[in-house]
Amino acid sequence: MKREITFKLNNEERKVEVDPGWTLLYVLREVLELMGTKEGCGYGECGACTVIIDGLSVNSCLYPILEAEGRAVTTIEGLRAASGELHPLQQAFVNEGAVQCGFCTAGMIMSAKALIDENEKPTEDDIKDNIAGNLCRCTGYVQIIDAIKTVAGGGRT
Amino acid sequence: MSDLTTVGKKITKRDAPLKVTGGATYIQDLKIPGMLYGGILYSKYAHAKILKLDTTRAERLPGVMAVITAADVPNNFRFGIMKDNPPLKGGRVRSTRDEIAAVAAVSAEIAAAALELIEVEYEELPGIFDPLEAMKEGAPLVHEEMKSNILKMPWKLICGDVEAAKKESAYVVSDTFRTQWVTHCCLGTSGCIAALDTSNNLTMYSNTQIPSLAQNDYIEALAAFGLKGRRVRIIQCTIGGGFGSKLDTYAYEYIAILLAMKTRKPVKFIFSREEEFFATSPRQCSITKISQGCDKDGRLTFREMEMVLDNGAYTSWGATTPSVMMMPISSLYKVPNIKYVAQCVYTNNTYSQAMRGYGNPQATFAIESSLDQLAEKAGLDPYELRFRNANEPGELTPQNFQVTSCGMKECMAEVVKRLDWKGKKGNGNGRGVGMASLIHVGGGARVYKSDGCGTIIKMDDRGKVDVLTGATEIGQGSETVLAQIVAEVLGVPIDDINVINNDTDVCPWDVGAHASRSTFVAGNSALGAARKIREQMLAVAAQNMGEDPASLDIKNGVVFSRNDKEKSLPLSKVLRKVHYTSGGKMFMAEHFYDPPNENFDKEFKGNLSVSYAYGVHGVEVEVDRETGQVKILNYIAAHDVGKAINPMLLEGQIYGGGLMGIGYALGETMIYEKGRLKNGNFLDYKMPTAKDVPPVQAVIVETDEQAGPFGAKGIGEPGLVPTAPAIANAIYDAVGVRIKDLPITPEKVLRALQEKAQADTGRSGA
Amino acid sequence: MTRFEYHKPHTIKEAIGLMGSLENAKFIAGGTDVMVLIKRKKIAPAHLISLRNINDFSSIDIGDGLQIGGGVTHSDIVANEFIQKRYSALTDAAGKVGSRQIRNVATVSGNICNAAPSADTACPLLVLDADVKIAGPKGERQVPLDDFFLGANRVDLGPGEVVTGFHLPPFGLNTGSAYIKHTRRQAMDLPMVGIAVRVTIRIGGSEIGCKDAFCTIDSISNILRRLEDEELRCEDVRIAMGVVAPRPVRARKAEAALKGKVISEALFEEIAEIAASEAQPRDSIRGEAWYRREMVKVLTKRAILISVDRVLRPDDMILRGHDAASCPRVRG
Ligand SMILES: Cc1cc2nc3c(=O)[nH]c(=O)nc-3n(C[C@H](O)[C@H](O)[C@H](O)COP(=O)(O)OP(=O)(O)OC[C@H]3O[C@@H](n4cnc5c(N)ncnc54)[C@H](O)[C@@H]3O)c2cc1C
Ligand code: FES
Ligand code: FES
Repeated sequence: MKREITFKLNNEERKVEVDPGWTLLYVLREVLELMGTKEGCGYGECGACTVIIDGLSVNSCLYPILEAEGRAVTTIEGLRAASGELHPLQQAFVNEGAVQCGFCTAGMIMSAKALIDENEKPTEDDIKDNIAGNLCRCTGYVQIIDAIKTVAGGGRT
Repeated sequence: MSDLTTVGKKITKRDAPLKVTGGATYIQDLKIPGMLYGGILYSKYAHAKILKLDTTRAERLPGVMAVITAADVPNNFRFGIMKDNPPLKGGRVRSTRDEIAAVAAVSAEIAAAALELIEVEYEELPGIFDPLEAMKEGAPLVHEEMKSNILKMPWKLICGDVEAAKKESAYVVSDTFRTQWVTHCCLGTSGCIAALDTSNNLTMYSNTQIPSLAQNDYIEALAAFGLKGRRVRIIQCTIGGGFGSKLDTYAYEYIAILLAMKTRKPVKFIFSREEEFFATSPRQCSITKISQGCDKDGRLTFREMEMVLDNGAYTSWGATTPSVMMMPISSLYKVPNIKYVAQCVYTNNTYSQAMRGYGNPQATFAIESSLDQLAEKAGLDPYELRFRNANEPGELTPQNFQVTSCGMKECMAEVVKRLDWKGKKGNGNGRGVGMASLIHVGGGARVYKSDGCGTIIKMDDRGKVDVLTGATEIGQGSETVLAQIVAEVLGVPIDDINVINNDTDVCPWDVGAHASRSTFVAGNSALGAARKIREQMLAVAAQNMGEDPASLDIKNGVVFSRNDKEKSLPLSKVLRKVHYTSGGKMFMAEHFYDPPNENFDKEFKGNLSVSYAYGVHGVEVEVDRETGQVKILNYIAAHDVGKAINPMLLEGQIYGGGLMGIGYALGETMIYEKGRLKNGNFLDYKMPTAKDVPPVQAVIVETDEQAGPFGAKGIGEPGLVPTAPAIANAIYDAVGVRIKDLPITPEKVLRALQEKAQADTGRSGA
Repeated sequence: MTRFEYHKPHTIKEAIGLMGSLENAKFIAGGTDVMVLIKRKKIAPAHLISLRNINDFSSIDIGDGLQIGGGVTHSDIVANEFIQKRYSALTDAAGKVGSRQIRNVATVSGNICNAAPSADTACPLLVLDADVKIAGPKGERQVPLDDFFLGANRVDLGPGEVVTGFHLPPFGLNTGSAYIKHTRRQAMDLPMVGIAVRVTIRIGGSEIGCKDAFCTIDSISNILRRLEDEELRCEDVRIAMGVVAPRPVRARKAEAALKGKVISEALFEEIAEIAASEAQPRDSIRGEAWYRREMVKVLTKRAILISVDRVLRPDDMILRGHDAASCPRVRG
């Protein structure tokens, strides 16, 4: 049975009619057609679907949609400033060569954002720990870690 | 060339802004009105007879628009390089990835539900899963009509006289090395949408890395399906990783076409992660016997290798990887006498395909591990042995490769310096260092009759440039590199360049993104086209400026005279002058570049590539003697790249390749039990995470390859080629055990340490 | 996608009530096991009763030891400094579960109720003498964790019963604990073997005094050697092993052999051997039995050493870069 729920999506109140069996990822992609959040596995094992819910990074592929009710969800589409300017993390990913095929990128950036929002000056180990759930096959992670460092105030080492 | 403005610079990737904002459209993200969703039913057994296949219940499920089986494949159509692979299998199944039925439905959910309603009865047959068993006399045949499980593709390379060289060698080592099945793990799974127009012309939205060849495959398929002479258009979405997995066409794509024909609607397939693991074609496992020898001064005398490769149940590019393996076998270091034979063997396993390095990692693992054994026997530092035999510019190798630029020794020097080789080597304190080198094609490779790529460049009134290229962007950055090359030649800002690379209706022909060829071949093609258009523009500008074209140059979109800086004309004006004139013309140039690479002759000799890429990796490891765990303390990857057109992208290729190599060396393996994949998920298939990244340095060595665009050579694949043997060698240096089969798991290391301890006490007791 | 109804009670009572009234219902907390099982079609509940919105369910309270709420996530554990200092084994384990995204939603209760032999928090909670707090239609009860595990994926939960949290007794400053997770990768991995240890130590019958005497980065083995005449005695010990039996188990023989003894690295080696002999690992695609047994041995010793180290040198006592040899306060 479909139900209507309300939640905050990228700073806007959204009302959506959902089936309780749907995941947040399904609703984002198939109902709201926000295609930036990717599905790389569907089982919590790759992080491509990472979004931020109430400040925490979460695998949206395992997240029952009804739990989003009343919460604040941020996706990659919500990062850009209204002026169209890239978020500093997005810009850093561009600048440092942290993007190759790009399939992991949205999830990676969301994990990085959750980290930086919580800890302004993460160490390299903090960074690695917080993106370890985001698999990337292309980059070998080095330039991703560099990109996050430039935003995290640590600068390049 | 010091005044280059874009080439050689850290230019950000052109498609990165789209990707960081979530705006890039991957096949997963694409929807077409009226589209149906496809699903495939795979075999339950690795080898079985299908006694009954009943699809009636699936057909009756509301929302199901078509169900097809082998009976619906016209003309006994088969695909693959040996044409041994029907898109849907009937009668008999030969692997657990055999497709036996497929559905198209109005939603993915209904398609999945329909698959569960298909009833199949099997009679399981004994399967054959070990290539050595499969080669034996009387082994059950995977394809009865072939009469043997050994593919009729005899790979054999003989250079010089190995037997004579063996006798004359002062030191000889022989051993057997094994490598495992590993897979690409593209983060974006495979998929396609097949759509037919009213005249049955096909548009395929695709992930392919070989658009022109795939187009050809589909044209052939359409002909077999009764649609001869129809057009095929391939539109590539943003590709979520390739690494070779998309170098061949797959059954699901033909199934999509069949379903689109039957339903008259676009049909979309997207693989689940499980399917991606078991139903795409991985790097095959190999068993290699190797002997190498040297004289008393440590000069290599011969290399003899015999290889068995598991082909799996059907034939794709995996069967041709020995052609590339021949390259390191004949030409990595100077070795005068070579003998190599390889056999690919049908089994009831998954079937193998191309993967980054194309056989080179398997061969290099054996060669470079064995070289360390030889060094030990000859009483030489492994670095010393390598240095004495290192490749050099100007060399003609036994397989008739003409080495032009070669920075192997420079790379070796970097590794030795950065690792502190002399200080760290042979301390036997649980830490050790190892190195291994690589050779790879750096200027394309003539594996097909053509190794070409076309480029069309056209310009608009405002001086903006459209570059239409055949080269596929699979994340490696070819789009950016091409834009840099064109911007450099035309003297326009890089932002004025638009690269169009994803539509066979407008893009020129290209043989595909493989063999690390995009920068070199597509780069030269773009360079040629850009030069032509530059000439055209300068000619017109010269006329208007009353100057000699030779005295003109272009910078930042403005033509100026080198003699008189006051004299200048913006390109946009030049262009408008040409367009808005009676009898005007437009500025457009095309260039097809096919490098002077040679096909192998009957003896598998010939200059496969006009240039070769070299590299040396060095690694310091620490081995935990109690757990067998290996920790990488330092990793140096030095690569001769000719010229770094974009150092940042290049480093990205090296880091990415290196970590993939570390996965190959230490953890990744596809675990099959009776032909069924047991670890087809990201938890159990141990692809490295961010926490597995060791301290790593990418070192770029520039050797200015004359044939390359601005001196560049290819670097897409090499990053993972020497990783595994470098690590294996470092482990040996650290604790004295040599692991000869990949991956080097803690179990194997610990067992070897225990055996060594036993042997050592046995020896001291005796 | 499977169909199910989703319920979001706000109190435990409500949750228990729903469980009693609905057919084929299942509790869901972080959902990192439940959703995976549903998606893989291993289970098909008609109703999911969420425990995510229960009031006051996610608190961590200090007093009479430690009270961990039923909704506490692994990330909550990691962020808690008190747990890190005094119940270190639990922090070790929680910090290594899956990924940050998984830890942000996955709960300790879910980890325990799912009762996989590889459940990372199980061994630490076993050695920390955790009791499981349970509420159900028939009221509340509390059982030792060791009794709560019945077998592979089986726990002592009756119909409608829900885990409301855990109680861990207080431990003095002379107690240290550790968990070692042995994996192939550094993250996103289930343990091949997991070993948790807790030890309580006495020096010659008295509490250890001046801890800053050990403000050195020297190895714990060397420190133990220096302290040989101090008669450090093991007052109490727990050892628990994961992935070596159908359920997480204690190595009771090994515990008995250590308790009351004067400690030394040589003794730990013997203890580790005993623990290994108690393990009954199996071959699986995730690891071979012989290797797992071997690792029980290695890791048990290491986990004991870390636990002892944590008593002798709590993290905040170690001055980084402080050289043992030149430190006037180090005995030796
Ligand atoms: C990618 C991935 C990686 C993982 N890595 C690890 C790992 O490294 N180590 C590890 O141990 N586990 C791991 N897991 C498994 C899982 O994350 C943990 O077991 C987690 O702690 C489960 O908690 P949960 O809240 O998500 O449980 P849920 O999935 O919500 O529930 C699990 C079970 O417990 C029951 N349950 C939950 N809460 C209660 C309660 N309060 N009372 C009664 N019953 C309850 C549910 O009905 C269900 O049967 C991983 C899972 C994934 C998907
Ligand atoms: S899609 Fe959610 S973790 Fe992979
Ligand atoms: S950029 Fe391709 S997976 Fe990360």
